[in-house]
Amino acid sequence: MKQRVPGSVGLICGVVVAALILLWVGADGYRQTLVTTTATYALVALGMYVPYLMAGSLSMAYGAYAGIGGYAVGLLSTRTGLPLVLAWIAGPVVAAAVAVLLGLATRRLSGFFLAAVTLLFGMAFTALLVDAEGLSGGSGGLGSLRKLNFFGWEPSHYQVVIGSVVVVCGIAFLLDRLRMSPWGVVVRTMRDAPRAVEAAGVRVPVMNLVALAIGAAIAAVGGGLFTYSAGSVTPDTFTLNLVFLAIFMPLIGGSATPWGAVLGAVIAVELTLNFPVIETSGTLILALGVLVILLLAPQGVIGYAARLARLVGGRRG
Amino acid sequence: MAETLLVGEGLTKRYGGVTALQDVSFTLAAGEILGLVGPNGAGKTTLVDLISGAQPATEGALTLRGQRLAGPAARRAKAGLARTFQYPQLALELSVADNLLLGRAARRHGTVWQMIAGAFAGALRPHSTADAEAVRALADELGIDGLDRPAGDLSLGEQRLVEVGRALGQDPLVLLLDEPFAGSDAGGVHGIVEVVRTVQRRGHAVILVDHNVDLVAGLVDRIMLLDRGRAVFDGEPRACLDSPQMQQVYFGVADPAETEEDVPHVVS
Repeated sequence: MKQRVPGSVGLICGVVVAALILLWVGADGYRQTLVTTTATYALVALGMYVPYLMAGSLSMAYGAYAGIGGYAVGLLSTRTGLPLVLAWIAGPVVAAAVAVLLGLATRRLSGFFLAAVTLLFGMAFTALLVDAEGLSGGSGGLGSLRKLNFFGWEPSHYQVVIGSVVVVCGIAFLLDRLRMSPWGVVVRTMRDAPRAVEAAGVRVPVMNLVALAIGAAIAAVGGGLFTYSAGSVTPDTFTLNLVFLAIFMPLIGGSATPWGAVLGAVIAVELTLNFPVIETSGTLILALGVLVILLLAPQGVIGYAARLARLVGGRRG
Repeated sequence: MAETLLVGEGLTKRYGGVTALQDVSFTLAAGEILGLVGPNGAGKTTLVDLISGAQPATEGALTLRGQRLAGPAARRAKAGLARTFQYPQLALELSVADNLLLGRAARRHGTVWQMIAGAFAGALRPHSTADAEAVRALADELGIDGLDRPAGDLSLGEQRLVEVGRALGQDPLVLLLDEPFAGSDAGGVHGIVEVVRTVQRRGHAVILVDHNVDLVAGLVDRIMLLDRGRAVFDGEPRACLDSPQMQQVYFGVADPAETEEDVPHVVS
């Protein structure tokens, strides 16, 4: 047991659940859309995980980062003849660069003021997309996008769904390992004890920028994925609603590991989009659910399950 | 004569019109342990902050091994300083082991490129046996057990011990300990004394802050006595205990020669 691969428990659970979901989806188009939406939400929440839950700075510009990823796919598809895969390199790189610039501009802010200013940036970005009609297609956005093509092989929609689930599991697994690594120790210490990190020889403001850049790049991957599977992108694709949901996803799932963000995304999408009994008030149910979880199980679903497992395991041995 | 490690010249800190530290100079030789002693508010922590870079000095300069020591705390840490805090600064949700690892981990993330590369390296290979062994060795040296406990579960004394271990993990040239014994039991005091001896054996130096002169006197090579922002004595511990300045500072026995100029240092 001592020699096991770090993060393997999470990965195994994640893959099993993912496989069950993919079996459940099958050829159902609506369910496929649900899964790609969930994957996008999960990637935005995973992106926020690094700066928010590890480093402790709440940036709200994640709609913009996902949007940059989305528009990278849209622009590359409609304006150039370049291979579409390049959009998943360009988008995250540009999003990371924007995150660094925004991080530099807001480096003296924290807490409420950081959240407020980055929120404003997200709104300004949406406005920019509407205004810059020549580039972004204005409020109509970019549509009828090309399909991926790997040397003549065009993945079907179901294969794209599988691909997006694999990407989410892969990134959650890598972030889980990153959390435990020396890098993760440095960044997580910045949350409670930034002075100690600084006194140990790491420039906290610089490390914060690196964390923001990684988060923005991951969110951009999600934005690209959503745009591709939807076949179009508009300024309204990545709204503030998404950002707010993404803040709460790790709280629902459990903030101790990145898998909590993924589980939170699954629960959030299930409640808001696929709850037939109370279809219109899914968001209300979610809001109440978050409240109940925060009050009763502040460590989220995974934290609660882990405690239960320890209790049961403790009795056995 | 041992090599001179750290030199401070004319260190001064003013907050508005209040002078917290006034023209303090010192030299620290390799292998030396300097006790920084004085009553509350004497400027001990201010001096540690000025040396470590936690606060910028209003005036004065520092050199470490002949190189100018300036700029943010992180740069000074890379030059060879490590410190603990009067109020322990630990990541309370992280395990004791992770807190002990910080000193070592930080050394590998000192530059922007290391911060970026470290993220990829960390995701690919989160744990190394070398790190685990180093943490183990630190814990053994200090007598810390229960490495998997969250640091938030520790008593104040234990937290200090972990902080000292974390600083030792940086393998510093100069270790600054700000009141390391406050809240420690006998075991904790023993662990911290061990660390001080280890640093000394390596030929490095320690600055140890405490307001308890008797406790420090047996451990240090030299004492600098601070009072209201000024260094009023710098010399052998025994000589310090017997000095008129000591009487003046701690027992308020006025030395008629000094009272004239010894008014609070407030400039308008």
